Amino acid sequence: MIEVKALQKRFKLTKEHQQKGKSKDVREHDGYFHSVKNVSFSCAQGEVLGLLGPSGAGKTTTLRMLSTALKPDSGQITINGQDIIKKPLIGRRSIGFLSGSTGLYGRLSARENVEYFAKLHGLKGRELKSRCDALFEKLDMTEFLDKRAEHLSTGMKQKTNIARAVVHQPDVVVLDEPTTGLDIMTTQTVINFIRELKSNGTPVIFSTHHLDEVALLCDRICVIDKGVSCFDDSVAQFKAQGKSDELNQAFMNLLQGAAHV
Amino acid sequence: MFEVFKKELLELVRDRKTLFFVLALPMLIFPVIMGLVAFLGSQAALKAEQKVHTYYIVNEQNSEQFAERVFYHKSFKKYDGKHQFLSIEDLKQAVQSGAIDVGIYLEADPTQTIEQGEQASWQVVFNDAQSINFIYDRLKSIANELSDSLREQALVALGVDKSKQAAMLQPILVSKVDTADKRENIGEKLGAFIPYLLIPLVLMGASYPAIDLGAGEKERGTLETLLLTPVTRTQLVLGKFLTVLLSSLACATVTVLSMAIWVSVAISFVELDTIKSAFSSVTGVDFMLIFALLVPIAAIFSSLVLAISIYARTFKEAQNYMAPLSMGVFLPIVISLMPNMVLNAKTALIPVTNVALAIKEIVKGTVDYGLLSMIVLTSIGLAALLLAFCVRWFSKETVLFR
Ligand SMILES: Nc1ncnc2c1ncn2[C@@H]1O[C@H](COP(=O)(O)OP(=O)(O)OP(=O)(O)O)[C@@H](O)[C@H]1O
Ligand SMILES: [Mg+2]
Repeated sequence: MIEVKALQKRFKLTKEHQQKGKSKDVREHDGYFHSVKNVSFSCAQGEVLGLLGPSGAGKTTTLRMLSTALKPDSGQITINGQDIIKKPLIGRRSIGFLSGSTGLYGRLSARENVEYFAKLHGLKGRELKSRCDALFEKLDMTEFLDKRAEHLSTGMKQKTNIARAVVHQPDVVVLDEPTTGLDIMTTQTVINFIRELKSNGTPVIFSTHHLDEVALLCDRICVIDKGVSCFDDSVAQFKAQGKSDELNQAFMNLLQGAAHV
Repeated sequence: MFEVFKKELLELVRDRKTLFFVLALPMLIFPVIMGLVAFLGSQAALKAEQKVHTYYIVNEQNSEQFAERVFYHKSFKKYDGKHQFLSIEDLKQAVQSGAIDVGIYLEADPTQTIEQGEQASWQVVFNDAQSINFIYDRLKSIANELSDSLREQALVALGVDKSKQAAMLQPILVSKVDTADKRENIGEKLGAFIPYLLIPLVLMGASYPAIDLGAGEKERGTLETLLLTPVTRTQLVLGKFLTVLLSSLACATVTVLSMAIWVSVAISFVELDTIKSAFSSVTGVDFMLIFALLVPIAAIFSSLVLAISIYARTFKEAQNYMAPLSMGVFLPIVISLMPNMVLNAKTALIPVTNVALAIKEIVKGTVDYGLLSMIVLTSIGLAALLLAFCVRWFSKETVLFR
């Protein structure tokens, strides 16, 4: 169970940016860019939450706060009742994070990459070995384990990344555009992986621009627009409130509705 | 922390490019420099020595003796062209056009001028811009011989006995007794040159891996995941710092070792007795001392380049920052070469400069151990400060997510 309440994050604007003055975003004032102004959502055990929103809405910023890489200015994030803003170390143990831009160490093999992160999470000896081997088996990685990461195909890399993200058996998995730029086969690997997590009862939060994935996987949807979460409910409610059975249309209607208010 | 260190090291070892710059370059740089200097130097000297110069003498009749001696000198060959040169202007043009290498204008006959109590002044026209040139020296020594014998004859004619001439010509003979031994003399020059080579190499040994460890992680997107592990930022920075330090020290060790080896090789070949005796007194202990001084320098550089690398967004950006740094590192070394710069309680506090000065003292064999430990302490202090700064930077969002 993960709950996010009224998250806020602003970035200081650079001097050059302030002086330019043009292309003013509504979120730009007082020398700060208010990337995330008010985001709340929750995701229960065994649920998959899709995070939608136009480019620059603040999805990545929100997910980075979940992953404790960024510290929110205000708001609350709790995982199974634990406040992870106050205790980031607990947050780091209980979250598995993967984004489209996260990479691997090119000169290490796939196995070494995964094992390195396992070790950093405090795994040792036989436990580390068995945990990694089970993951490699499950993700069908055994053929390329000892190849250097820089020589792997995109699909192999993504599998390695997935293994790396969940090697410490996190309570919540956070994925930032996990399928962007991937081919059909690899996308399927990611989708299967999310399904697997779901059947294990692990909550998954992922941001995406592909609504077909949302239809396929999600129980809940959260829409972020200009740093504010304007919708957070079930998929059925999403269609009802968006006045359309097509997710695309519903999404457009919802955003327009939000803009008119 | 240890895991981070182990992994970074593994990655470093698998990186050929970095390995080359850290290990192979310092290993090769000494033999290459020495070989090049020795080869070019000997070649140039040999050529200049063996070259036969074409000469032309105006007014040969003023000193048949001189003309004859030049004629039979193995390095001079008489001009055999058709032209006649009469004045200094003519000679200048002839040298410029390449018709002759040297022109000699004998303005007067010394056997006559000496009787009138006047000097005979002769002119040697040649191009002195070439770096190694024996023309003038050779002609002058021929003229000096003539001059000496003329003087001797003149003095004898005046009734001064040959045996008393020396005392008469130079009643006081001043000679110097130098308290600086040979090592100190040569060490002053050589010891100034060594930091030039060593300190930038130590910096290089640090900066290559550092770029990869900081900016490289950002660019490849591994930093974000690294930050999500329950390893504290201090541990991460320390692990990375140790890797950079090790690489930098490896670079320094290889450099000092290769210097020691190649210097001894060169000494056994070269017949330069002064350098030989000077260097034979530089012991293993001295090399150890130099190395001990390089350790804190390496620590300073390591934390410095790591901080830069953490700040930079990309490989390219990091490299752009390193370039002025590798130029800037020469500044404190140049300062150490300024006149009147000696190692004392004050200069021992200037980072990098102090080490450059100390290395010079070590090579000279006049080192003060108290100052040495002061240098080590202040350098370690500075390194620790920089490292603390690194950790701070590594915890700042504005630096990590620029
Ligand atoms: N470190 C930062 N410093 C300054 N501004 C930032 C920083 N990170 C993000 N922003 C700004 O915050 C806004 C939201 O960015 P974010 O990456 O969260 O968007 P997003 O919803 O993930 O967009 P996309 O769908 O394109 O990935 C953007 O306008 C971006 O310029
Ligand atoms: Mg994004």
